[in-house]
Amino acid sequence: MILPDSLIPWNLSMEAYDRVIGARSLLRWTLNTVIYSVVSVVGVLFFSSLAGYAFAKKRFPGKEVMFWSFIAMLMVPYHITVVPVFILISNAGGVNSYWGLILPTLANAQAVFLMRQFIKSLPDELFEAATVDGCSEWRMYVSIVVPLIKPILATLGVFVFLWHWNDFLWPLIIGQSNDMRTLTTGLASMNAENVPLNVVLAGSVVAFVPIFMAYLIGQRYFKEGVTMSGIKG
Amino acid sequence: MSVDTLPKARQRYRWREARIALLFVLPCLLLFIAFRFGPAVAGGVLSFTDYTIGADTNWIGLENLRRLNEDPLFWRALRTTLTIALLAVPLSILMSLGMALLVRRAFRGSKLFRSIFFLPVITSLVLAGIVFTWIFSEGGPWTSVMGWLGFADRAWLSDTTLVIPAIVIVAVWGRFGFGMLILLARLQDVPRELEEAALADGAGAWQRFRYIILPELKPALFFLAVIETTFSFQIFDTVYVMTGGGPANSSYVLVYQLYDQAFRYFDFGYASAIGLALFVMTFIVAMIQRLTLGRER
Amino acid sequence: MTSAALGAVMLASACGGDDGGGANTGSAEPGEVEGSVTMWTYPVIADETEHRNFWDDTIAAFGEEYPNVDVEVEIFPWADRDQALSTAIAGNSAPDVVYMIPDQLPGYARNIEPIDGYLDDDAKADYLPNAIEAVTIDGEMTAAPILASAVTLTCNKEVFDDVGQSEYPETWDDLREMAPEFKDAGYDMFAYSGDVSQTLNLTFYPLLWQAGGDVFNDDGSEVTFNSEAGVEALTFLQEMVDGGYVSEDMLTSNPPVEQTKLAQGEVACEWHSEGKNLVEFWGEENTVILPPLTNAEQIAYGTVGSLAMLSSADDKDAAGAWISFVTEAERAAEYDEASGFLPVKESTGSLYEGDPLLGEAEKYVDLTTVGPLTEEAREVMGVLAPEIQAVLIGEKEPQQALDDAAAAAEAVVR
Repeated sequence: MILPDSLIPWNLSMEAYDRVIGARSLLRWTLNTVIYSVVSVVGVLFFSSLAGYAFAKKRFPGKEVMFWSFIAMLMVPYHITVVPVFILISNAGGVNSYWGLILPTLANAQAVFLMRQFIKSLPDELFEAATVDGCSEWRMYVSIVVPLIKPILATLGVFVFLWHWNDFLWPLIIGQSNDMRTLTTGLASMNAENVPLNVVLAGSVVAFVPIFMAYLIGQRYFKEGVTMSGIKG
Repeated sequence: MSVDTLPKARQRYRWREARIALLFVLPCLLLFIAFRFGPAVAGGVLSFTDYTIGADTNWIGLENLRRLNEDPLFWRALRTTLTIALLAVPLSILMSLGMALLVRRAFRGSKLFRSIFFLPVITSLVLAGIVFTWIFSEGGPWTSVMGWLGFADRAWLSDTTLVIPAIVIVAVWGRFGFGMLILLARLQDVPRELEEAALADGAGAWQRFRYIILPELKPALFFLAVIETTFSFQIFDTVYVMTGGGPANSSYVLVYQLYDQAFRYFDFGYASAIGLALFVMTFIVAMIQRLTLGRER
Repeated sequence: MTSAALGAVMLASACGGDDGGGANTGSAEPGEVEGSVTMWTYPVIADETEHRNFWDDTIAAFGEEYPNVDVEVEIFPWADRDQALSTAIAGNSAPDVVYMIPDQLPGYARNIEPIDGYLDDDAKADYLPNAIEAVTIDGEMTAAPILASAVTLTCNKEVFDDVGQSEYPETWDDLREMAPEFKDAGYDMFAYSGDVSQTLNLTFYPLLWQAGGDVFNDDGSEVTFNSEAGVEALTFLQEMVDGGYVSEDMLTSNPPVEQTKLAQGEVACEWHSEGKNLVEFWGEENTVILPPLTNAEQIAYGTVGSLAMLSSADDKDAAGAWISFVTEAERAAEYDEASGFLPVKESTGSLYEGDPLLGEAEKYVDLTTVGPLTEEAREVMGVLAPEIQAVLIGEKEPQQALDDAAAAAEAVVR
């Protein structure tokens, strides 16, 4: 909560919110949330599956050190890195931008770990056969690895999506203008600014329905995703 | 193909493999350097500076830690955070356990219950906070029910003592579904014959739970305890939405203080020092887990 | 890599300092000044379209005089504006000119280009003394005032009529005396906005000043709100709250205004909002603007809105010319009238003579203060407000609460 300044008009009238913030902002926030969630899911799945595959099935110098330092990052609470990451992004001019919002969240240690575990459990023969066929590494990734890891892609994808959809602290500090808010930070700001409860609740429904529908359809993935990762977004 | 060229060929092949593997790892590595490794170290370094936006940065040594030590607000926030953890962790585990035992056997609607119990886990804490603010408000459902039960019908969120249980209730509500699922997975491993045999021997429900189910669940319960503790140290969303740290600072938690210092007063150095304190707390919990698990093995 | 990243961060912050060079536009020919100027302001005029139009007109007029300067004015929301500005400064995307009130200025002083050299002497001489004082830090004028406000005492005539009280309160004692009478008639004597997110400048500090106290000592090196005067002020407040004379609904939270007893006409007086904000609920005929309350002193809060130039501005002469143009007496007066704020120039005289609301408020500008001007002022509010709240909800005694707040503030101030 920010100290309202002495010049803030103290009687923000209700109609102003219905008109201004109401429909237009909710739409915009929903769009932002979708962009934040979908782009992040695609990015995290792509990068983590590449790395996970390399860690699981390839031999290269520094592999163990790299992998375990990735995993060590699971131990470092989000809150110790949030300040430096914010400083970095804000110095690079990323405040109130999609890239500033999304880029830092692509470094997802959990995703790399789970990818590696999953791919490691697949029999080596599947990959060796392709090598003998003279498949190029990239083609092999696209045509062999990706189909094989579909289950983990779905589960992890759902989890990452959920995490971003519900994320609060990062969008709160990076998306500061009204236009760059997500549903969670937008609703929190409405709540803090004394928008009448029915308007806020209406917004909450908008934010909840997509997740709820997705949950109804893909319950299994939700449960797997959240339990596997152990951490709620 | 002569005998002595073989190793060389393999070597070359490996080098090619390594190059490609490194190429695959590279994007992740760069992201991690920029947004995880770097900031983790920078977070530590920052706590020894007076870094703020638009000013020269000075190395101030232990000044921030000294300030932490002398800051009554920090100690209060630490106390509040620990209190919340102390209440929320056992409650959420008990609740998870209870619900898991309730829905473990297939019965009409057991699937539905599992789904419903899990729903809070996927719900945004901000939305939960908004709805619970209403539930706990004066004239809200919770307040009315408390009134009927003969308790004072005061709004919990505006009471310096009751605000903590209110926050804890929301935290437990949002978490127990997760614990329930973890425990359900373990419950499937409980040998059915063993339970049936015990039943035949006339063992009561409590005895069956105590001697057959509980030992099986122990590692999972322990895992939950650790993860729930870490989670409750980082509570922020609900406090931000429901109380803003009030009334009279009674729900002011550590992450809230970190947020205030960094993004309201722009004192990034001091905020990093608070982050460091959070790290130490999490680290201690993880070490306890390590040591205890090590002993169990 | 890490240290490099951190180094880059620090380097970036080290830049953006003062590059010196006190250019003086006062003497430059308008045609010779060129460049572009970006200004951030906030909904000072509540109606967005009206506000937009004002600036479009002003830009057009400025363009006639300074054909080689491009001006862009962006209107930001009030909420989170410090966050937006700070991050813009860090990200080198800061505007050249920003609207600020005095309690922001100290925090940005190192990023602000003093405005002294860009205003001509006549313009400076024309300012009301307290407007100049409000923007002066270390002997330099950091920003050019454009408007002022006076938040004195406002009472609801309808309530007074209903109770049969024909006198309005002038002192704390008057409030004490009248309160039971109003309570018996079913009214609250006053509303106190005790939510911790409310600035203390509008709530507790006026009482503190009226008791003869202040928030900081003269050089801002320590807090003094736990003085005898501070205790007296908080005790007065506590006494009134305990007596049931203060609206409960606003005491610890910040409900929507239209839902408060204050807006619904069940409260006699308040001092945390300008009277003009209550007209909508009480009607103009019932909104009575009164002089600031008196105890040891007669004083209230009033603010000064000003335009500051950031030192990162590329075309300082152009930015200076723009600020000087906008704050020129007549143009500023136009802005004041459109936004319902008070003038800051001697030559403007009275803008609202005869106006029952602003005309009254205008009379008391001399009795107002803009509040503490130290960099830590806001953070000190952050530690003090919850302690005051603790007293209001009966958790602590005034002396204890203020001492606790002072102890916490000590860590902040040094």
